[in-house]
Amino acid sequence: MRLKFREESLYSLLFLTPAIVLVGVFIYFAIVWNVYISFTDWKGLIPSYRFVGLENYRILFHDPVFWTSFRNNIILIILFVPGSLLLGLLLAILLDRKIKFENGFRTIYALPFALSFVVTATLWAWMYDPSDGVLNTLFSMLHLEFLKSNWITDPHVALYAVILALIWQFSGYTMLIYLAGIRSVSSEQYEAAIIDGANQLQLYRYVVIPQLKKPTLSAFVVLMVFSLKAFDFIWVLTSGGPGTSTFILAVEMYKETFAKTKFAYGASIATVLLLLSFAIVLPYLYWSYGGEKE
Amino acid sequence: MKTRRLILYLLLIAFMFVYLLPFWSAVTTSLKTGRQVTMTTPVKFVFPPYFGAYREAFSELKRPMLNSLLFTTFATIFSVMIGSMTGYVLAKLLKGSTSKKLLIFITLGIFLPYQSILIPLLRIITKLGLYNTIPGMILTHTAYGVPITTLLFTNYYYEVPDELVEAAKVDGANPLKIYTSIVFPISIPAFVVTAIYQFTNIWNDYLFGLVLTRGEEAMPATVKLANLKGSFVANWNIQMAGALIVAIPTLFIMIGLGKYLIRGYTSGAVKG
Repeated sequence: MRLKFREESLYSLLFLTPAIVLVGVFIYFAIVWNVYISFTDWKGLIPSYRFVGLENYRILFHDPVFWTSFRNNIILIILFVPGSLLLGLLLAILLDRKIKFENGFRTIYALPFALSFVVTATLWAWMYDPSDGVLNTLFSMLHLEFLKSNWITDPHVALYAVILALIWQFSGYTMLIYLAGIRSVSSEQYEAAIIDGANQLQLYRYVVIPQLKKPTLSAFVVLMVFSLKAFDFIWVLTSGGPGTSTFILAVEMYKETFAKTKFAYGASIATVLLLLSFAIVLPYLYWSYGGEKE
Repeated sequence: MKTRRLILYLLLIAFMFVYLLPFWSAVTTSLKTGRQVTMTTPVKFVFPPYFGAYREAFSELKRPMLNSLLFTTFATIFSVMIGSMTGYVLAKLLKGSTSKKLLIFITLGIFLPYQSILIPLLRIITKLGLYNTIPGMILTHTAYGVPITTLLFTNYYYEVPDELVEAAKVDGANPLKIYTSIVFPISIPAFVVTAIYQFTNIWNDYLFGLVLTRGEEAMPATVKLANLKGSFVANWNIQMAGALIVAIPTLFIMIGLGKYLIRGYTSGAVKG
């Protein structure tokens, strides 16, 4: 029996080794290393690890581009997160009405989410092209000239254009999450509400939506964390421009680190991003693991 | 009631147009000559279609597409295998708080903003001599795939009855034998879902490819596509053809195997 037990632990250890080594090195060790780099003066291609304390952070918090990026990040979160949640909920409710071709509609709405951000950014670059692009031409055709815009080349519009396209890409995801949530509401509850004389609107308002707390929260966290690390789409579509009008922290981090080779400075922006995502994720994990405790 | 159904369908169809518009205009534009692109409306097809843009885009993207296919396939296999082994241990061999702590330790990476490991990652990969190589891409994507594959498999194995494993244990089978003869065969559905999810995710990645590759030897299709934007500035037909070529694998997965991909998304998966 004792031998058996030892054998089992040995196998457990063996099976766990690849995951623990990879996660240990590529995530935890890398995080610590990055934080350490943010305390050094590493500039240029050759690493330098001279310790300068919080100097990078002092410069960072006095850098107007950092605050522009931070502000844009907040705007992105405020519009993109609820926008994606509400549109996804609407689509899920529409699709939950015993629709013919439900699978077809669902696939089409979810299609953008299955694509690379580089692909969708390329498609939207053409949508938003001010001279020959899809949207402006379409609006001219439909005599809706007042809707024409310079889109991503107008610094006052660019960020909102980016957010609109991101909602297009993510609402299919939130729709899937909500549809799964709606489908898990038991049919007894539906029947009970209908017997009580609830109409369709009341049915959703008082029976279905209150039960969507869990999917809402998990989608909320996913969207929040995405807002922090969103880089691919913005980098390909606008590179942060025009000017710094679509800079967010992830874009600034890349630009400082790899375009200007200010590695230590970039590492300090990355650390700020990490702390922000901790602030979102840890309460959620606490809530979800705490809530499921037997 | 009839009119309400009608309004419902009209709404669904209106949304369908909104969601499809970027794809639609990409297809029409990719089949035009450069002159036709500026002379005609983006949403209209021209006849006869012109395939030159696809030829041009494909000649640029051929090698990067092969690179992507190669490292995506291997990184998918490795990350799925590791996820399955780890999930088996966490759900069936270890019990109680050790298992829970390890699960959190491994899966916390799901929420990691990759910016916060990017510089050390570049250093590690360079130090290993894997910068701008396919093995470097495989290693990177395997490592960052482990958190999500472990989560998906652990959740799946929680549902597997303990008796199944216990019975084999009583018969004297060791954990490896139990894994290969019992656990592996019954988790084929989880392998399908996780592999499809991973393939899509790795294929779609841009950031790692951008930082870890330079030349054609290992450059992913997504990075090359982004570069086409610079080298074919106003050639929208070539850009659209390129975007559609790079999208093909994941489009087919979504259309043909969408059921499994959706299961991956809805069981706690994240993108980007």
